[in-house]
Amino acid sequence: MTALVAAALVPVAHIGHWLWVFYVLPVIIVIAGIFWSTRAANRREREEEEKRP
Amino acid sequence: MNVVLALPFGHALVARQDLPIPAWLFAWAASIVLIVSFFALSAAWRRPIFEDQHWRPLGGAGFSRALLGPPAQALCGAIGVLLLGFAIYAGLHGTEAPDRNFALTFLFVTCWLGFPFLAAIFGDVFRPFNPWRAAGRACGAALAAAGVERPSKLAYPQRLGRWPAAIGLLAVVWLEVVYGASGGIAVGLDPHSCAVAACVYSAYTLAMMALFGVEEWCATGEIFSVYFGMFSQLGFLGVRDGKLGRRRPLAAATSWAAIPGSAAVVIASIASTSFDGSQEGAFKGAIEKVFEWLGEAGLGPTTSLRLSNTIFMLLCFAGVALVYELGVRGMRSIPGAPSLARLRTAFAHTLIPIALAYLIAHYFSLFVFQEQAQFTYLLSDPLGTGHTDLFGTAEVGIDFSLLSSQTIWYVQVAALVCGHVLGLTLAHDRALTIWPDPRRATRSQYWMLAVMVAFTCFGLYLLSAGNG
Repeated sequence: MTALVAAALVPVAHIGHWLWVFYVLPVIIVIAGIFWSTRAANRREREEEEKRP
Repeated sequence: MNVVLALPFGHALVARQDLPIPAWLFAWAASIVLIVSFFALSAAWRRPIFEDQHWRPLGGAGFSRALLGPPAQALCGAIGVLLLGFAIYAGLHGTEAPDRNFALTFLFVTCWLGFPFLAAIFGDVFRPFNPWRAAGRACGAALAAAGVERPSKLAYPQRLGRWPAAIGLLAVVWLEVVYGASGGIAVGLDPHSCAVAACVYSAYTLAMMALFGVEEWCATGEIFSVYFGMFSQLGFLGVRDGKLGRRRPLAAATSWAAIPGSAAVVIASIASTSFDGSQEGAFKGAIEKVFEWLGEAGLGPTTSLRLSNTIFMLLCFAGVALVYELGVRGMRSIPGAPSLARLRTAFAHTLIPIALAYLIAHYFSLFVFQEQAQFTYLLSDPLGTGHTDLFGTAEVGIDFSLLSSQTIWYVQVAALVCGHVLGLTLAHDRALTIWPDPRRATRSQYWMLAVMVAFTCFGLYLLSAGNG
């Protein structure tokens, strides 16, 4: 059984090279959140300006 | 079964086997802590409080006089000069084994790491013990007593600011981790080289003090005064008008970065620690590749090793500076923002807790282990001759069981998270002074949140790769 699992994992033996992706993801999520909220805030401000007489 | 679990990591970074959850999950948890802290600050912190240090004297005038008066200054200065002289003597005349010689541990662990840790709590404790300041002042006093008329001092170029200290800081770390890098090749910073470097630095510093004045050079160019002084801005003790007093912790940092080059000092601190942490971990493969290219280009192994490490050290500096610059440029996009130059200066102090956090995370275990050596066998046999036992502790070794690898990891994570939350707090406080409208202040701080999350994840990645 152990040998079977080991054999199945061989194709992903280099996954350790990609561990850094897990550390970059939170940064990407935060930056995406900033872009999203900045766009929303700009849109809101534009709409408020348009509503003003 | 363990072999099977280790297979996916078999060719690169090895996952820490002694943690209950994967190391990268700590980066996610730390990011969530920062995001929650950010929103808590936005909701509850509506006016700046760090701009006022809330300084009040500690004890009576006699207490301050006793601690800060000329006799105490002379005594502390003499201790500083004596210890530096002894470290140089040990380096020149002691054993060449780095771990058995008093000089390396004393200069690069006890002082280089100890003073920032102490300063971050108690304020500028290095200043009275600074051997170059003491020597410079003593020379000035002796000349004055002898009635010798000194030539007038040169005006220090204000544009230079703290840049000499920033460059010097990188040079000190370069000496320690690049010039002294082993990397499988016996280069190594030996105690003799360390002592020679200390002599050269002493001559340079005293010359600069003679040119520009002792206090002027200590405030701007003297590497150790500037570096330890930076961390002292976080401490709760401070001197004002010759009196010792308590102040709001972190508050002194708000005015620290006004001198040009201060941002470079704090960035150099973070970058040099990052490089030291990644040299044998995250960047190891890349450094080896550059080392091979340089070797193929005809350079010798020692030169190739030093050059490849130097390149990566400078890249670290550029990378940290770039992340900070992106944060500043992001803030500039908020209506009502001042100029980029002003923003760069205004928020540089928010990186000081991060520099301290990186320092604790990377060196706390080294400090705990090496200080055992410092106060046992290195104190009893400072020259490492094997024939001296001054205090009967020459045979005592380091107890490595004092800290488990899990304890070290949790301290590292806690230091990074706390450092970045404090950085975020300082940044939010400063933003409220620039954008009085709390909504705009919060929006400007989205970018500093991204900077803090980036530094936290990068720091944890370096630690996990290094510890793996």
